[in-house]
Amino acid sequence: MAYESTSKMQNIVKVPVWRRRLLLIAVLLSFAALLVRSVYLQSLHKSFLQKEGNARYSRTLSLQAYRGKILDRNGELLAISSPVETIWANPTDVVIDQVQTKAMASLLNMRTADIDKKLANPQREFVYIKRRLPPDLAAKVMSLSIPGVYSEREYKRYYPAADVTAHLVGFTGVDDNGQEGFELAQNTWLSGKSGSRRVLKDRQGHIIEDLEAVKVPQDGHDLMLSIDRRIQYLAYRELAKAVETNKAIAGAAIVLDAKTGEVLAMVNLPTYNPNNPVNVKGKTRNRAITDTFEPGSTMKPISVSAALESGNFTPESKIQTSPGTLSIGPATIHDSHPQGLISVGQVIQKSSNVGAAKMALTLQPEFLWGYFNQIGFGSPTHIGFPGEGSGRLRNYKTWRPIEQATMSFGHGISVTLLQLARAYTVFANDGELRPVSLLKLNEAPIGHRVYSAQVANEMKDMLETVVQPGGTALKAQIAGYRVAGKTGTAHKLGAHGYEEDKYVASFVGMAPASDPRLIMAVMIDEPSNGEYYGGSVAAPVFSKVMADALRMLGIPQDAPNNNVVIPTDETNAEPEVKETT
Amino acid sequence: MMDFGTNKTLSTFFVNRDRVNAPNYDQGLLWVTLIMLGISVVMVYSASIALAEADKATGHQATYFLIRQAVFLVIGAAAAFITFQIPMQWWQKMAPYLFLIGLFLLVLVLVPGIGRNVNGSRRWLSLVFINLQPSEFMKLFSAMYVADYAVRKASKMDSLVSGFLPMVAVMIIVGGLLLHEPDFGAFAVIASISIAILWLGGINVKIFIGLLVTMPIGIILLIWSSPYRMQRVIGFMNPWADPYGKGYQLSHALIAFGRGEWFGVGLGASVEKLLYLPEAHTDFLLAVIAEELGFVGVAVVIGLFSWLVIRAFSIGKTAIENERYFSGLLAQGLGVWVGAQGFINMGVNMGLLPTKGLTLPLLSFGGSGILANCIAMAVLLRIDWESRRLQKSLPT
Repeated sequence: MAYESTSKMQNIVKVPVWRRRLLLIAVLLSFAALLVRSVYLQSLHKSFLQKEGNARYSRTLSLQAYRGKILDRNGELLAISSPVETIWANPTDVVIDQVQTKAMASLLNMRTADIDKKLANPQREFVYIKRRLPPDLAAKVMSLSIPGVYSEREYKRYYPAADVTAHLVGFTGVDDNGQEGFELAQNTWLSGKSGSRRVLKDRQGHIIEDLEAVKVPQDGHDLMLSIDRRIQYLAYRELAKAVETNKAIAGAAIVLDAKTGEVLAMVNLPTYNPNNPVNVKGKTRNRAITDTFEPGSTMKPISVSAALESGNFTPESKIQTSPGTLSIGPATIHDSHPQGLISVGQVIQKSSNVGAAKMALTLQPEFLWGYFNQIGFGSPTHIGFPGEGSGRLRNYKTWRPIEQATMSFGHGISVTLLQLARAYTVFANDGELRPVSLLKLNEAPIGHRVYSAQVANEMKDMLETVVQPGGTALKAQIAGYRVAGKTGTAHKLGAHGYEEDKYVASFVGMAPASDPRLIMAVMIDEPSNGEYYGGSVAAPVFSKVMADALRMLGIPQDAPNNNVVIPTDETNAEPEVKETT
Repeated sequence: MMDFGTNKTLSTFFVNRDRVNAPNYDQGLLWVTLIMLGISVVMVYSASIALAEADKATGHQATYFLIRQAVFLVIGAAAAFITFQIPMQWWQKMAPYLFLIGLFLLVLVLVPGIGRNVNGSRRWLSLVFINLQPSEFMKLFSAMYVADYAVRKASKMDSLVSGFLPMVAVMIIVGGLLLHEPDFGAFAVIASISIAILWLGGINVKIFIGLLVTMPIGIILLIWSSPYRMQRVIGFMNPWADPYGKGYQLSHALIAFGRGEWFGVGLGASVEKLLYLPEAHTDFLLAVIAEELGFVGVAVVIGLFSWLVIRAFSIGKTAIENERYFSGLLAQGLGVWVGAQGFINMGVNMGLLPTKGLTLPLLSFGGSGILANCIAMAVLLRIDWESRRLQKSLPT
C-alpha cells in the first residue's frame, strides 16, 4: 500500500491541470444553467405557473345570503333559516386512511363504501359528502382533519307551524330555492343576492388569505303574510276534525277579513310537513286557490241578488216551487224538500233549486253573466300565488236555458274556494267586492261595486235566516254573534256526469252579521260517513272557528249569549241538488 | 441555535490552537458551511411546519422537524470536530475497509426486517434510536475509495483492463445494490464522483470518451427497465399533461418557482408548502426557498454551492501541488459530490431532470445526509489544514 507521505509515490500520479479546469467549468456551467432556468421560471414563465397555482388553491366561496323570514301578520314566524353545515370534499386533494373513513362514516351515519365511492373519482374537484348537518356534528367531522374535506355553511329552512301553514308557505329545495307556496312565489324577494369571496386555501381547506375584496351578500327580505297564525291553527284544527269525522278525502277553509280582503287563514287537507317534504305528491296543492269545484247552493245568493237587481223581484216576491221539480226541455230540476209557494227570502233560507232557477230564467243571459263576471268568477284573483285556478264561467252567448237555470244554483260553473269567499265580501261591504290579499295590507284596498247596497243588505238579511230555525245551517250559529251564510251540497262531476254518491259540502258565511268583520268559506270534499249536507258537515267548522276567531280578535258581540237555537233534524235538511240531462 | 454554538466553539478551538499565525484553516469554507446549515435550519422549519402540524405521526408538533434537524446539526458538528482530528493518512489507509463497510451496510439495507421500507424504497437501516441511510455514507466512502484506487493504480490509469475495468466492476456492484433499494439518485452521485476522480486521476481520454458514450445508453436502459422510473421520466417531460397524477409533484414545484418571482412571497409565506408540494422539507426544499425568497434566494443557494465546489477544487489543487494525491483527488471528489448532488436536486426542482430521491446537500432535512455532509466538509477542512501545515513545514 502506498501513502502520500511516502517518497515512493511522488510523481506517479499524472494530473494534467486542464482536466481539473474542464471539470470545474463543467460544474459551474451546470450551475449557470440552473440560474438561467430559475430566471425563466421565476420571471418569464411566472404568469402561467401562477395561474396554475391559483387554479389549485384559490377558491371562490359563495357567501349565501340569509333568506328572509316569512311571518304572519303579527310577526310570528312561519319560516326561518337556521345555519347548518355541509361537508364536501375535493377528491383530488383527499388524503384519507381506513380509520378516518370509518370514523367519518359513523359520525355521518353513512356506509364506508359510500364515502369511498364519493371520493373515488380523482378527476372531480367537488363532491358533497353530506349536506345540511347540525353545526356541532360537522365540527366533529372537521376535527378528523382530513385533507381535502371541507365544510361549508348553509341555511336550512325551518317551518315552525309545519303542516298547518304548509300550503301557504311552501318549502325550499336543497339549494335553498323555493319549490312551493310563497317560498316559490316570492323566491327572489326572500332569497336576496348571494355574495362571493375569492380566497387562498391550503390543501386541508383552511383559508389563508383573501385574494380580492369580499362581495358581501345581500340578505333576503322578510315577507309578512296576512295570515293570523292563531286563526290558522284554529281553522286547521277544526277542518282536520271535520275531514276525519266525515271521512272526507280533502277539505279547505278560508277566513277573510271582510273589510280588507286579507286572508287571515287558509288551510287545506291533506297536508304535509314542509320541514321534511318527502312523499308529498298530491298533498302540496293549496286546494283553496288551485282547485276548482262546482259550488252548488252557495251560488244562490249571487244569482238571486242579480235577480233582485233586475227589479223583477223583491225579497217578498212569491215564487211557485211546487211540485218541487222544474222541467226544462228533457231535463228536470229537483228540490229535495218541495216547498210550494215561497218568498225570495225562503228560496235562500230553504235553498230551493226550483226557485233560484225560475228567478234566473227571467234574466237575460248577458245580465246574469255580468254579475258572475263582476263578482270574479271565471278569472283568477291575482292574489300572487303559484298555480291559481280561474274556474269556469262560460260565455253567455253559449248558454242554453237549462245551463242558465243550473248555474243559478251552482252547477255548470266552477270556482275556487278563494273566489267563492271573495264573492261573499259583497254582502259584507254593502255590495262592494274587496280584492283579496295573502300579504298584510296597511289599509283596506279599493273594491268595486257589484250590487247596490240595498240588494246586498237584503241578501245579507236573507242569509241570516239560513242559520235560523227553518234554515239549512243551524249548526253555523255562534253564541253571542249574529251569523249570515249559505250552505252548499253539490254532486261531484265524474267521468260520466254527476256522481250519485259523491258530494262537495260547503258553507260560506260571515259574522257579526250586523257589521261583518270575518268571512269564512269551508269546503269538504267527499264526506262519506253518512252526513254530506253542507249544513251538517261544513257549517260546524265555520261555527267553531268563527266563534273563537271573533273572540280572539275582540270583535264586539251583536247578539245575546243565548241566541243559539238547538237544531233539530227537521230544520237541518237542505235540498239535494239533482239534475238530469 | 445549538449547532451554531457548537461550531463556534470549534472555530475558537482552532484559533486558540495557533494563535500567532494567520488562520491555519479555511475560514471561508467553514463560514459558507455554517451559513448553509443556518439556512437549512430556517428553511427546513419553514417548509415543514404545515406538514408537521397536519401529521399524526409527528404528534401535530410544528417544531417536530426543526428540533430533529437541530439535533442532527449538533451530531454533525460533533462528528465534524472528530473528523477534523483524523489525519488524511489514516483515511487513505482505511479507504478500502470503509468502502467494504459501506457495501456491507448496503447489503444489510436489503435484508428484510433490518432495512426499513419507506414509500417503496428500502434505503434506511433501523437502528435503536435513529434510522441510518447507508447510501449517504457510501458517497463519502466511495470518494475515498476511488481516490485511493486512482493513487494506487496511478501507473495503470492508461490501461483499460487493469486500470479501468476493475473500477467498473466495483461500480456495477455498488450500482446493483443501490438500484435494488432503489436509490437511483445516490448511484448517480456516486457514479459522478467516481468518474470525476478517475478523470482527474488521469484515466485514458479514449476510455473516458467511451464511457461518456456508453453511460447515457446504460441510463436509458435502466429507465426503460423500471416502470417506476419510466413514470417519473414521463412526469418530468411534461408535468402539465397529468398534473394530478404523474406530474403532481413537479407541477407544484414549478408553481412554487413561478410564485416566488424575483424576491419571493416572503419567508414563511409559501402556499405550496401547505401540503400541496410533497417532500417540501427534503427533496423539494429549493422550491420552497424559490417561493419564499424568490430568484434571489435561489441565486444565493446556487452561489453558495458554486463557492463550495470552487473551494473544494482549489483545496484539491493545492494538495496535489504538494504531491498529496489522495487528499487532492478526494477534495475534488467531495466537491463533485456536493456539486453533482446539488445540481441534480436543483435540476429536479426546476424540471430540468427527472425526479429522483436526492436531497440538497447541507440544506435538506435528513440525519444521515447532514451527518455525511458535515463529515465531508470536515475532511475538506482537514485537507486544507494539512496543506497549510505542510507549506509552513509544520508536522501534520
